[in-house]
Amino acid sequence: MASPAIRFDRLGQVFDTRSGRTEALRDVSFEVARHEFVAILGPSGCGKSTLLRLIAGLLRPTSGSVEVFGLRVGEPRDDIGIVFQKPTLLPWATVEDNVDFPARHKRGRVSPEERERAAALLRMVGLEGFAKRLPDELSGGMQQRVGIARALLMDPDILLMDEPFSALDALTREVMGFDLLRIFAERPKTVVFITHSVSEAALLADRVLVMTGRPGSVLTDVVVPVGRPRGPETANEKAIHDLSAYLRSFLLQKAA
Amino acid sequence: MSLRATLTSFALASSLIAAPALAADKVIFQLDWLPGGDKAPIYVCIHDGFCRDAGLNVTIASGRGSTDAISRLAAGSADVGVADIGALLAAKANENVKVTAIFSEFNKGPHALYVIKSGRIGSMADLKGKTIATSPFTSSNFYLPLVLKDKGVESSDVKLIKAEPGSLGPMLMAGNVDGIVAWMTDLTRYRNQGKEAGKEIVVLPWSAAGLELYSASLIANDDFLAKRPEVAKRFVEAYKKSIEFAKAEPAKAAAAVKAIVAEISTEDVEGSLNDTLPLIFNEVTDKDGLGVFEPARLAETWRRVSAAQSIDPAKFDPEKAVTRHFIPAK
Amino acid sequence: MTSVPTYAASSSKRQPKAMTDPVAGASPFFRRLATAPGMATLGSLIAVVILWELTARIFAIPSYLLPTPSSVIQSFSSIGYDRWFVHVWATLRVAMIGYALSIVIAIPLAILMLRSPFLSRTLYPLLVVVQSTPVVAVAPIIIVSLGAGDAPRVVITCLITFFPLVVSTATGLAATPPELIELSRSLRAPAWREITQIRLPFAVPYIFSALKISITLAVIGAVVAEFCASEAGVGYFIQFSTSMFRLPQAWAGLIVLAAMSLALFQLVLFAQKSLFPWSLPKKD
Repeated sequence: MASPAIRFDRLGQVFDTRSGRTEALRDVSFEVARHEFVAILGPSGCGKSTLLRLIAGLLRPTSGSVEVFGLRVGEPRDDIGIVFQKPTLLPWATVEDNVDFPARHKRGRVSPEERERAAALLRMVGLEGFAKRLPDELSGGMQQRVGIARALLMDPDILLMDEPFSALDALTREVMGFDLLRIFAERPKTVVFITHSVSEAALLADRVLVMTGRPGSVLTDVVVPVGRPRGPETANEKAIHDLSAYLRSFLLQKAA
Repeated sequence: MSLRATLTSFALASSLIAAPALAADKVIFQLDWLPGGDKAPIYVCIHDGFCRDAGLNVTIASGRGSTDAISRLAAGSADVGVADIGALLAAKANENVKVTAIFSEFNKGPHALYVIKSGRIGSMADLKGKTIATSPFTSSNFYLPLVLKDKGVESSDVKLIKAEPGSLGPMLMAGNVDGIVAWMTDLTRYRNQGKEAGKEIVVLPWSAAGLELYSASLIANDDFLAKRPEVAKRFVEAYKKSIEFAKAEPAKAAAAVKAIVAEISTEDVEGSLNDTLPLIFNEVTDKDGLGVFEPARLAETWRRVSAAQSIDPAKFDPEKAVTRHFIPAK
Repeated sequence: MTSVPTYAASSSKRQPKAMTDPVAGASPFFRRLATAPGMATLGSLIAVVILWELTARIFAIPSYLLPTPSSVIQSFSSIGYDRWFVHVWATLRVAMIGYALSIVIAIPLAILMLRSPFLSRTLYPLLVVVQSTPVVAVAPIIIVSLGAGDAPRVVITCLITFFPLVVSTATGLAATPPELIELSRSLRAPAWREITQIRLPFAVPYIFSALKISITLAVIGAVVAEFCASEAGVGYFIQFSTSMFRLPQAWAGLIVLAAMSLALFQLVLFAQKSLFPWSLPKKD
């Protein structure tokens, strides 16, 4: 039996800040299977982003452990890609240079294969023909697509997405969600996707973890009872509606 | 011109340039301020050949006040220069700087009060209850209380305003103040300013009010004097000749300054030089000779300087600040 | 395609008869001249100069208070171009060397301060002390210890231009989006590449705003240094002219100085526009 892609075991995280100790996460345990899409839903400040930074190896746990493919996370790994809330592109670099930036940054050069893969990724995210443009010339949605292409350049097994669509308008956000479904149908990945949008979580994910804080902990873990492939029509399915309604009322109850 | 004549003149010209250049001793001359008519002798020395004839190759460095000039001479960045002997005496008394006065140029202080004719001040004794302006850093400020005291005026009875040197003239012309403290060397320039404003300017020299002082003197670095005494001797001789030339031919002396300092106007230089000459040639010069440090007058200078700077007069012997070894015999 | 530029170029001719156009009746040359960029500025400048000349003459303001523009212009030519060249070159040389030295020291120092919080804590107060020390107060020691030549003036210029460069560069290096720093760490890239590929480029707008401040400070620095010690330079020339009570001549020096500052500022702006166009503030 292969080990899960990600495994949190009774993880606790405490930060020492100027105003004292803050307990960000307490007793967090869950697993994410390979090629599973898990959405993490919760209010602001419940430590969702901390979870991602722990997986990425940018942070050491205070207690408990995080494993990726059966190995304890000690330092950043090569097989993880990150998409941030804001696109955070390099404003001086063209779109294609932004996409192959991870290679240039890690090794100081970009191989011909990586350059080809960057072009293919740009096609996949619908930005062919924009390769020579600067980020400023692109809309917010297009910039975030560049961010997604950049995260996929090194062909990671795991993709961490930290509220990637929260800065976009509602319509663009929906379109981006469906594009994401298409991309992962083409190229399955293990995805941890943080969001505060209940419907986005229900529509995109295989499983939804609901967190609350502080300290953040997993309250409930719900499987989305809808198969794949999914598309725009999926949004109208009753199961999605019911799940969204359930999650929304659950969150409201907890918030009250 | 024939070929032979050309060659001859060429040979003559090159020998004129080359011969002294081979033997010329390099000397850096430090001014205590920017170029001007009051500094004409050193320009005469260079431009009219007195320095060259003495086998000297002199370059001029401008300064920013006597203290600045003395510290640069002490640091060895210049060999010999001109600065106020009062500043030298104070510097020697406070911290034994390695420089010595070798020749007296002004045997009267240039300090004066400028007033407008038909104004409320006719002499220094009239200053009680008046407002006068001075520049913040001039050495005249030290002597002002002494002159006032001599004339029976309390310093506290005179309102003293400090202002940037360039604004003193305008303040006087505009009637903001009753008088301004400035140097005799600027007499022509203030008179011209007065003309433009339709006012007549009167100057009250403090030497006439009883302030007996040596002032601008040639001051040299002690190392220079010890290692190149012959050069120093030749320089002082050439400088003395230049002063005498400036007295005899003020227009040519002004032209010498203009030739080296292109930014200057000849009339300004000539005016300033004519204002300066009475500080060099006067009844004291007639009695003692040019360049001489007469012991009694030197002692009197130190008495005034020490009083002005609040230094114990017994702390220092002014004879230690001068050497008469380099003054040319008559 | 060829017809498009022609049309665009003639767009101003589309309403030549419009009564609202103040220069409608003028010949095309004058019309173009009047609408050329900078013409309004130049026009108002000329108007101010004429007004100034008239005021000075009508009220007979003495030249030692306010010289007339004509006397200032006259003193330009009476000095001689070779002397102007000597003064401008002396000031320009000191300003540029001091400025360059300042950049060469400030940027690596800002990087060092970013890498070492200890250095940052110890250097910042020191920099503030240096910045708040009036250079004139320390000028004598600098001049006496560095001797004749450009060295003391270059050091004084460097001292004056240094502070904004260090502070701005350090701020810019620290203002990089934290996400990109996390990206860099997650890639396990060498630390120096984080500086060269992320932090320094992100600091470019900050560095350039400091470069623009510092270039005018460099001219001021060179002038202050010339006030303390020099035999040439525009600052020396101004000081010298003031000491001779030649105010028109001093004003001519001031105008040359202002022109130098403006030209150097535009040069820095041009460098930014052509080398880092993305770093300029957005127009909209």
